[in-house]
Amino acid sequence: MLIPTISKVSNVTQKPLELILARNLMSALSTPAFLVDEGGVLVFYNEAAGIMLGKRFEELGTVGPEEWGSLFGPFDEAGEPIPYDELPLVVAVRNGRPAHANFEISSADGTHHSVEASAFPILTAHGSQGAIAVFWPAASNGSAG
Amino acid sequence: MKVKLWGTRGSIPSPGPETIRYGGNTSCVGVTLSDGSMLALDAGTGIRSLGNALAAEPTRLHILLTHLHLDHIQGLVFFAPAFRAQTEIVIWGPSSPEASLRDRISRYISAPLSPVEVRELPCDVSFRHCPQAEWEIGPARIRAASVAHRGPTLGYRIDDAGSSLAYIPDHEPALGADIDTLEDEWISGLGLAHNASLLIHDGQYTDDEYPDHLGWGHSSLSHAISFARRAEAERTLLFHHDPMHSDAQLDEFAQGARERWRALGGDPDRIELAMERAEYELPVHTALAS
Repeated sequence: MLIPTISKVSNVTQKPLELILARNLMSALSTPAFLVDEGGVLVFYNEAAGIMLGKRFEELGTVGPEEWGSLFGPFDEAGEPIPYDELPLVVAVRNGRPAHANFEISSADGTHHSVEASAFPILTAHGSQGAIAVFWPAASNGSAG
Repeated sequence: MKVKLWGTRGSIPSPGPETIRYGGNTSCVGVTLSDGSMLALDAGTGIRSLGNALAAEPTRLHILLTHLHLDHIQGLVFFAPAFRAQTEIVIWGPSSPEASLRDRISRYISAPLSPVEVRELPCDVSFRHCPQAEWEIGPARIRAASVAHRGPTLGYRIDDAGSSLAYIPDHEPALGADIDTLEDEWISGLGLAHNASLLIHDGQYTDDEYPDHLGWGHSSLSHAISFARRAEAERTLLFHHDPMHSDAQLDEFAQGARERWRALGGDPDRIELAMERAEYELPVHTALAS
């Protein structure tokens, strides 16, 4: 069978499969979760994170690496901003290492949330593809556990 | 580019009178490039017939494996050219952190599963992990990308002389995702399939069967159609038929696919079920081929 075609190319630049699967998993979680690509760009957060932040990801869209760190805080117990380089998600994507920290964030309506954040890199045969961070309400004693 | 389907069945060979039209051999597609050179996509049991059809002359052949499940490699040790000293075979496949491609395939081509070992094959065989970047085989540009299936699994896109073939036989793009609403870049495999002249895609399950096979790495009819619509391919072949599906059931499946396609505004002649030994010719576009 001869298939008549006109020549076309793919116009889709697909995300790495590992990020696609991570997003699919995160979409099904009830815990707030964030996803950055290998360049540190925030490419997705789930509905639970949107509730915590007071803004859905679809309203915010992708955010560059230097911007998202300051969008909702984060700050320490004394109210001081936490340097971007020290955020677990940044450590995970830059250093390829897991990281964990306690801090506070401020949602869109000004509400503060004390959270524990665990981040881990997404490493593949082709190197790092990004990182995931999952947030939990901070333990009452403030310990990372 | 010429395409011939040598095996369209998924999971396990399913010969018998009830599967004679769509075929019982497992995944293998032969591709003849515009310069006459030959590729085989997967090496299921269909590759045995492909090998028998090749002339017994010195030849170089590339086999592109999507993954190493048995229904995609079982025909390797029954591939006649592999037993000719004058044949050069290059086997491409996905990398794995666990072992090299050669070592993983050798688990099958070795005792007790096989009477011969890889090192005993008379042909000149080499194994290569598919690169992330596009590469060339003869006149064709080949692209491989990981797709949603169990274990390291690739889909392929072959561009030759202005036409393109996308081959994603084992694929579950809707696992945990709504492919009707996701952005293109977040749909597994879409970068390979988009605007292809011919898309060969997983369509193993009916919609009723899918819930019992969630996460097994294959598509329902609805998911395959949603993916194909998003891909905007010129023609789509639903492939990797379930071994439990008879020709009569697949005829119903095909009719359902056409009706669904038409209901979505598509030309029903542009979607069909893959049938063993069917041949397709993708035209040369000379402006791009030069």
